[in-house]
Amino acid sequence: MIGLKNNSGALVVECVNILKNKVNNGWGSVGDEIVVVVQRARPISAATQASVNAVKVRRGDVRRAVIVRTRKQVRRPDGSYIRFDDNAAVLLNNKKEMLGTRIGGIVSADLRLKGWGKIVSLAPRVV
Amino acid sequence: MKLEIDSFSGYRIYPSKGKLFVRGDSKVFRFASSKNASLFLQRKNPRKIAWTVVYRRMHKKGITEEVAKKRSRKTVKHQRGIVGADLATIAARRNQTAAIRSQQRLAAITKAKSEKKEKEVKKEKAKPARPSAASGPKVSKQQMKGGKGGR
Repeated sequence: MIGLKNNSGALVVECVNILKNKVNNGWGSVGDEIVVVVQRARPISAATQASVNAVKVRRGDVRRAVIVRTRKQVRRPDGSYIRFDDNAAVLLNNKKEMLGTRIGGIVSADLRLKGWGKIVSLAPRVV
Repeated sequence: MKLEIDSFSGYRIYPSKGKLFVRGDSKVFRFASSKNASLFLQRKNPRKIAWTVVYRRMHKKGITEEVAKKRSRKTVKHQRGIVGADLATIAARRNQTAAIRSQQRLAAITKAKSEKKEKEVKKEKAKPARPSAASGPKVSKQQMKGGKGGR
């Protein structure tokens, strides 16, 4: 599975190489935690380097992330299905907290069911 | 129970049915069936597909599509009598013309004048009678007094 991630902070990156944490069929779905490699990162500007809190994500970094959108349709508890136009994840640190401070784009409401309420609350729109 | 509307065909989507599709620009589309979803993804125009609600509405098919005519309450004029003037008198007043009214007014004035004259005449007639009537008892009193005093 290839995830394109949008996470704010100091990066717009593309991630590849996912390792599933859950015992599943080897596929990740919305709300699953994954391990990603940062393929492309926003160049770190001098301003962000100067600030102490800035999260530095470089190309080639290995990080944890949560899937927030999938192209594969996901079954809701009520039996309906939801599907997005792209795959997306949000980067996490070791304590399973978000690296960034903002989330770009829509997020699946299934996240809340799986215990990612903070991400849901930060998202601009939840579907 | 919340009913959704199919964004392609306009059909109703009952709970636990249908598919939700979120496009890249985060627009949400709901489909009642795979048929609708498929046609949408083929970029078909629902206005050109005969069974969709949009098409039927456009071509005025079926009675169900007819928008119910707006019913507005009309105020009905109703005539009835009011205190001291029943319907007949009101109608009569209304049907009068200005000329008749002025005539009536004139008539009323003349009548009032004549009545006044008559009264005056009566008064004049009554005047001589009255003093006698008034003086009668007076006189008698005086007479009585005088009579008493005189005697």
